Amino acid sequence: MSSVQLKRLLVALNRVKQHGYIPKCKQSTAAAAQPKKEPEKIEVFVDGKPIHVEPNTTVLQACAVAGVEIPRYCYHERLSIAGNCRMCLVEIEKTPKPVASCAMPVMKGMRILTDSPLTKRAREGVMEFLLVNHPLDCPICDQGGECDLQDQSMAFGNDRSRFTDNEFSGKRCVEDKNIGPLVKTSMNRCIHCTRCVRFGSEVAGVSDLGTTGRGSDMIIGTYVERLFMSELSGNVIDLCPVGALTSKPYAFTARPWETRKTESVDVMDALGSNIVINTRGGDVLRVIPRTNEEVNEEWISDKTRFAYDGLKLQRLTAPMLKNRDGYLVPCDWEDALSVVAERIGRLGNGSKMAALAGRFCDAEGLIALKDLMNQLGCETVCVEERFPNVGASIDLRSNYLFNGTIAGIEQADLVVLIGTNPRYEAPVLNARIRKAFIHNDLQVAVIGPKIDLTYSYEHLGDNTNILSDLASGKHAFSKALNGAKRPLVILGSAMFERPDAASLYASAAQLSEKLRDVSSKEDKEWRVFNVLHRNASQVAALDLGYKPDVKSIIDLKPSLLYLFGADEGLIKREDLPKDCYIIYQGHHGDRGAKIADAILPGAAYTEKHGIYANTEGRAQQTHVATTPPGKAREDWKIIRALAEVCGASLRYNDIDEIRERIEQVAPNLTRLDSIEQANYFKQNIELLKQHQSSFHNQPLTPPINNLKDFYMTDSISRASLTMAKCVKAVDQQLKSQHRN
Amino acid sequence: MSEGILAKVGQWFKIMRHYGGIKNTVLSLYRYDDLKTGNFIGADKYGNRYYQNTRYFVGRSRWVQYADRVGLDYDASQVPPEWHRWLQYITDDPPTTTPLKKYPWMIDHIENRTGTSQIYVPYTTVPPKIQSWQPPTPSTTTQNISSTKSQLQ
Repeated sequence: MSSVQLKRLLVALNRVKQHGYIPKCKQSTAAAAQPKKEPEKIEVFVDGKPIHVEPNTTVLQACAVAGVEIPRYCYHERLSIAGNCRMCLVEIEKTPKPVASCAMPVMKGMRILTDSPLTKRAREGVMEFLLVNHPLDCPICDQGGECDLQDQSMAFGNDRSRFTDNEFSGKRCVEDKNIGPLVKTSMNRCIHCTRCVRFGSEVAGVSDLGTTGRGSDMIIGTYVERLFMSELSGNVIDLCPVGALTSKPYAFTARPWETRKTESVDVMDALGSNIVINTRGGDVLRVIPRTNEEVNEEWISDKTRFAYDGLKLQRLTAPMLKNRDGYLVPCDWEDALSVVAERIGRLGNGSKMAALAGRFCDAEGLIALKDLMNQLGCETVCVEERFPNVGASIDLRSNYLFNGTIAGIEQADLVVLIGTNPRYEAPVLNARIRKAFIHNDLQVAVIGPKIDLTYSYEHLGDNTNILSDLASGKHAFSKALNGAKRPLVILGSAMFERPDAASLYASAAQLSEKLRDVSSKEDKEWRVFNVLHRNASQVAALDLGYKPDVKSIIDLKPSLLYLFGADEGLIKREDLPKDCYIIYQGHHGDRGAKIADAILPGAAYTEKHGIYANTEGRAQQTHVATTPPGKAREDWKIIRALAEVCGASLRYNDIDEIRERIEQVAPNLTRLDSIEQANYFKQNIELLKQHQSSFHNQPLTPPINNLKDFYMTDSISRASLTMAKCVKAVDQQLKSQHRN
Repeated sequence: MSEGILAKVGQWFKIMRHYGGIKNTVLSLYRYDDLKTGNFIGADKYGNRYYQNTRYFVGRSRWVQYADRVGLDYDASQVPPEWHRWLQYITDDPPTTTPLKKYPWMIDHIENRTGTSQIYVPYTTVPPKIQSWQPPTPSTTTQNISSTKSQLQ
């Protein structure tokens, strides 16, 4: 056993000593709390093997329970059942014809034969028909190697075809559609499974894609040439079982067996969607989703999927210092660190120093920077996104978390969105709300501008008074609100930028607490109050004790400012004293690097092991997919090295030791993939009572309200050419005659 | 052995005469580990001298004594092409009797530079995978904006 393993074992044992068990995430509390009467199970026989399944399951699902995989193209777990590909035909005893198993509900005593000669012949026949009109362009097809049609024709198809084409009439030909800069279409390959159409209308909530014609003349398309206007459009690439819809930026770059896959976490929004990064030779080739039912199911947003080319452009690859003429020039690490350390040393103490952390910072870098700054005597260590200083503020985790959890949306019966546009702030979360809206009759109310959220909702207005009206029960909607058994109040983090953020936050919290009193009769564990963050680093930064107050830096008039990936441009050169020395550590030459006097190149999220906590407080870690380019290094190592030169002592030398340090400060951040529950709602409300509400009259408007603004929001996506093309495409679409 | 000891001694004097004294003979032996006598055919402009002695069999009958200035750093690539073809029996006519045609585009012979400071190092012609950020300088400030614009179009 290595020393590292031993250390981990000791940590685990310590936890057992403290808690009596190893604390684990608590899942789907509501389901556990509400024991439903189990419906009687039905017995069916799959290939003679008896199994018990619930009524209303399909034959295909019953076979899956029995461990028999039925081939399919059109059927998908997260989409409605279409039953049009006919690949899932199975024989059922005492039926005259083979039956499409995906659409057939089980019946008592059903005897399903998945391996009979009739079933085999049916599959071979379907495969033959599909291949009659499918081009033989596997060698130049991007789906090659991960194609369902390839795999299933190998497994279930016949080894010969009756397609001879003696007349040389050719196969079915369909014109390729231009549906935007992200999805490449090759419609000859389409087998009409309509997964993309169903995804568009059911999950993404845009009816851009559809079908025209019938039978072999059926065509999937957008009717007129237009953009597939969705922030989730990239998911149709994964859904398409053949190569009809493939990724445009990834076209002709690699085969799936050549790439190295690294399981990681996305940082483009605060959801922490699980992703797989495909690399070859130190080059990120594509990003695809990884299934995590608790977070992103199997969807990711287009920014997550396609902004990766921004990781190759505008990178900081060498440390830089300003020369005599005032221009940045590349230099060695030794020079950069010694100059920066000398600058820090010149200040004497840290009272005139400040640090600001940006949206892509991992917990390791955050803790190292905070330790360094604190040791140098600096207490102004801030994070970019603000949070009102009212009540317990960030002292209680429950105040800034998405307490209801993302998966909890599916148990909710009412959601109130306050000043947030989840469609563009967290597209996958919005898809989850839409899912609950469709399947669970979720009622949604919006306080904010009238926006297209892809589902219908009760628009309560965009006025600040509405919140107090709702809390006091005066509003027309209060009745519905108070009748809700599992309500969720989602407060957008953009609202914290407002001058009346404190009052807004207090009234939202009070409203939530009122609703929780009602809902606790139904479910004691139900949490109503949720904050939807936009920055991936925000929750970890708050957990580690960063101040969510940028203004305090400006008020301090610092002589030295340490920007740690801070690219939002919240602090401008003009706001600071003239002689202020600005150090920028980060991975992109963006707004922060432009105003810096010294640049320390760091690693992007694909290049380091880093812990990120998503908006629900779930800690997840990224893994190294490629090495940082040039002289760039992992962020915490840079800070550790700088501390050494400054003479400050940070007592960690490797990733395990720094995680032990994180464990000391915020143990929840090291319990990966689990949610540590946060409580004390009542106590916070007591503290909030002292707050005198005063609202400003401006409407509650979230910053991003159309697709065009969604694509380029941070230093990575601003550097991405693909994202720039998307913005251009949306612009053109809005000008075209076929806009909605 | 049939020629007897006198012939050997005679051979010794012949060699000495060929190389020009005891000192040069010893030096030659030190440089080439060999002492051969033959007819001087010619010299190139780099100072290499070429000899032939048909008493030796083909393959050994033509040889070069490299220029003195290279010392022990002599190398087969120091032989220019016109002498190379004679030395390697591609032709029997040395460039002294039948000089090759000289074209204006022909460059001077260059010896193999491996191991020297002028060594050839292959370099990639592929554009770099990662594009670095160029900090603003007075000359690039305007160029950068125009180049990003053209990339977008």
